[in-house]
Amino acid sequence: MSDAKIPGLKESFLEPLIANNPVMIQVLGICSSLAVTSSMKTAFVMGLSVTAVTAISNLAVSCVRNFIPGSVRIIAQMTIIASLVIIVDQILRAFAYDLSKQLSVYVGLIITNCIVMGRTEGFALKYPPLPSLMDGLGNGIGYSLVLCIVATIREIFGSGTWFGMTILPTVNNGGWYVPCGLLVMPPCAFFLVGGLIWLVKCFRKDLQEPLEYDTHREDY
Amino acid sequence: MLKLNKDSVLGTFVIIISFCLVCSVLVSSAVVALDPFKVAAIANDRQVNILKVSGFDVEGSVADTYAKHIEAHLLDVDAGVLADDAVNASEIDGYNFASLAKKPETSVAIAADHDRAGIRSHSKYMPIYFSKDENGNVVRVILPFYGQALWSTVYGYVAIDPVDGNTIKAVTFYSHGETPGLGGEIENPRWQAFWVDKKINDATGAYKFRITKNADHQGEGKDFEIDALSGATLTSNGVNNTAAYWLGDAYQPFLKNLIKGEIIK
Repeated sequence: MSDAKIPGLKESFLEPLIANNPVMIQVLGICSSLAVTSSMKTAFVMGLSVTAVTAISNLAVSCVRNFIPGSVRIIAQMTIIASLVIIVDQILRAFAYDLSKQLSVYVGLIITNCIVMGRTEGFALKYPPLPSLMDGLGNGIGYSLVLCIVATIREIFGSGTWFGMTILPTVNNGGWYVPCGLLVMPPCAFFLVGGLIWLVKCFRKDLQEPLEYDTHREDY
Repeated sequence: MLKLNKDSVLGTFVIIISFCLVCSVLVSSAVVALDPFKVAAIANDRQVNILKVSGFDVEGSVADTYAKHIEAHLLDVDAGVLADDAVNASEIDGYNFASLAKKPETSVAIAADHDRAGIRSHSKYMPIYFSKDENGNVVRVILPFYGQALWSTVYGYVAIDPVDGNTIKAVTFYSHGETPGLGGEIENPRWQAFWVDKKINDATGAYKFRITKNADHQGEGKDFEIDALSGATLTSNGVNNTAAYWLGDAYQPFLKNLIKGEIIK
């Protein structure tokens, strides 16, 4: 494993925000982004937790990358990631008990979040600690960004609130807004994530995948 | 120093074992170090929820208000009498009825035809709370209850008038996994307000409280029926069944004794 071409710190941080966003471009971590985005608070805390885990696990894996035996590298990474997730879960339970109740199993499921594993395996194993840390941070924040956008739309139009503050007073609470029931259900996050992918690829033509067929062929 | 080949069998074992050791030390020290905070957070959460139905607002700190107004007791559910001596006094307040209900030695199985809450067994003892005013008079009796709704087990507290032992004074739900905006509206204070002043039993002593579509607001049912949540029929049914099990069945011996004046002297 040679550190041949080390990516710059700024580049490894900024790349995953939009251009190589884990949710929108790599399409990783979709499951948890469906589950925790019905309210902004949970999405924000989930984003923070994932950012902390990706950043620190990237850093840790990168620090020990030259000692990890190739045959069991996945297990070794899982050990590090799982330990970090348990610590994050414990911290949430101690200091944000209410939120940890709402996030319930999803904090524990960060372990299986493909982003974390994907970055340690794809990046941290090859590069030195600092770029790895930045890459982890960038991916975590890129993930949080998508989560927060989806959660903002879902919470405002689904529950009439944002971070628990009333934006559109709902009929249930004596206001005028009839909330859109679909938005509070997980499948709706699929549509929103799909919409985001479409938007990003509209504005960034360079991110579009090449067509799988040739429109100039005669039999077309 | 011994030069270890990391890809040899021995090297793999040595490295993985040391990894595991380091990680387990990290995890266990985090768990131990954070334990006091977790216990405090859980206690604070419970106190906040009990105070919500106690009829007293939080003045100053939650813990102070709680200490001033709330008195925890242990109830022998089937006998309907207080059993404060069954455990150490310090264990009563946070008595973990949900996990004790799963252990055979501390729980009582619920017959299938009685198990409307879908919980299969209940703890032999339940913690109950007396809410007291400044003069030490009990103004509300707070009972925990829980049961299966649509997606999750819903946990709540219901406050009962200690004088007639039959009037609901407040209700709150402190843990559930129902759909936000639909079943999650059981948290809505406007819906919880419907429960206030509803009666549990009718004049003959038969259980009559229920959550139903098109509740009777004028006729003879107006003291007993509240509207179900629209868009959340299954959650409403679950909460209705939970109330039916606890208020209409499990707590009935206690409520009868409460009316007779045998609980609060």
